[in-house]
Amino acid sequence: MEKQRNHPSPLKFWLWFNPIGRQAGGWAYILHRITALGLTFYLYLHLIVLGLLAKGPDGYDQFLVLAHSPLFVFGELLVVAAGILHGLNGMRIALTTLGVSVTRQKQLFFGLMAIAAIAILVFGIRMFTV
Amino acid sequence: MMAQNSPARYVSAPRAGENMWLWMVKMITGPILVILLLIHFVVNHFIAETGLLTYADVVAYYRNPVIPVMEILFLVTVVTHSLIGLRGILLDLNPARRLLKVIDGGLILAGITAVAYGVWLVLVIVSRGA
Amino acid sequence: MSPAKWNIILKIHRQKQGEAPHFEEFPMQVDPDEYVLDAVERVWAFMDRSLCFRHACHHSTCGACGMRVNDVEKLTCITPIREVTRDGATLKVEPLRNFPVVSDLAVDMGTFYSRMETVGARAVLPVSEAEIENPPTTWDADESQYIRLADCIECGLCISACPAAATSTEYLGPAVLAGAQDQGLKRNLKLLELVDSEDGLWRCHSAFECTAVCPSFVDPARRIMDLRMQVIEERFKRLFRKP
Repeated sequence: MEKQRNHPSPLKFWLWFNPIGRQAGGWAYILHRITALGLTFYLYLHLIVLGLLAKGPDGYDQFLVLAHSPLFVFGELLVVAAGILHGLNGMRIALTTLGVSVTRQKQLFFGLMAIAAIAILVFGIRMFTV
Repeated sequence: MMAQNSPARYVSAPRAGENMWLWMVKMITGPILVILLLIHFVVNHFIAETGLLTYADVVAYYRNPVIPVMEILFLVTVVTHSLIGLRGILLDLNPARRLLKVIDGGLILAGITAVAYGVWLVLVIVSRGA
Repeated sequence: MSPAKWNIILKIHRQKQGEAPHFEEFPMQVDPDEYVLDAVERVWAFMDRSLCFRHACHHSTCGACGMRVNDVEKLTCITPIREVTRDGATLKVEPLRNFPVVSDLAVDMGTFYSRMETVGARAVLPVSEAEIENPPTTWDADESQYIRLADCIECGLCISACPAAATSTEYLGPAVLAGAQDQGLKRNLKLLELVDSEDGLWRCHSAFECTAVCPSFVDPARRIMDLRMQVIEERFKRLFRKP
């Protein structure tokens, strides 16, 4: 039993998200996994909420009033940010798998994340001002 | 004793759990989603000046025949990508073979349900606009 | 001129059979240009004879002294103390992750070695098949008979650093997949079923931690990606013609 302590175990799933001692690729992995789980959860939530459309104008329009509260908009921004991060980071994974920039994945990651930061900023300003 | 120490004991027989084809589907749907999501973001947040803010807006938007086709395509792609991805994460938790079969069944069922529900919803909205 | 000495606290993971893991602190004076393994050995030599750790060659060839130093996997025989801590600070030394602890800093690498054997990872290989800088365009008959050591020293740092290996006992892991790529499908087609499986290539999630910690420039992540392309090529070929 004592030996098992340091052994791989499904109960150690929190180690996936532990950033201590990790470098760029490790952070990318953490980011990718968190956004993956978040987006999957959102996708099915989104489908359920859109079901209100089938009930006609009243239910949906009432929901939209709620959806305009700052808290909701912030939540929406989180989803947009997660989508951008997951999409751009996914490009790092696809490109490196094809052998493109595989020895320079760190630079690729930081480059893509710079694009992501700008895109999130643009969407954030847009969503809170319009 | 010999048999116990033979290498074979430490390596499970090759299991075609996540094979190349499944992974390829994830890799191909990824970039498609990036493109579709880009169109989705730009249309909803930048071209539609006020956004799709009411029930009536949504119904009018779906009068354009390109939209329902694109949304269904988007739905199928995103559901496929998310469920294969989720399976990849669950695989990291080392499920037993029998449990994995149950997980597979559950994921396939979830995928079919989500797509069927989404298609039904799109058809309802299209019929309201007709 | 002798360089200034540093006062550091070596914080070592201790765990004997039946004991709960804990840390023990050993204050000591070191030359910052000494290696981490030197400090660990000093504890054993002058402070506590019961300290258990693996070491042999002291020049990064045997791969025995891999440990986690301040939360990062290091081959301690070539890691200068200067690079991982500072004067007056603590230096934390732990056993590698994802391997069962035998005692203190020593881990059981048995499963890992067996997996290397299963994929037929080569310890030596002909120079003509090695990845070397500026290889000659043609090899002379006697030149090509030379063999060289494979880059991978089987130290296990990559398995310890890999986030996918943390939860999955069955995942082959970076070094093993790199060992398979070193031969390539062209030389050993039997590898196809082994690496294109639930526990193989597709379980890598591109964290590139293996490449970051590898002390021997094997670049396992690049090799995994390369082997993936080989598998894709082979699978597509088989679509059109039975093997």
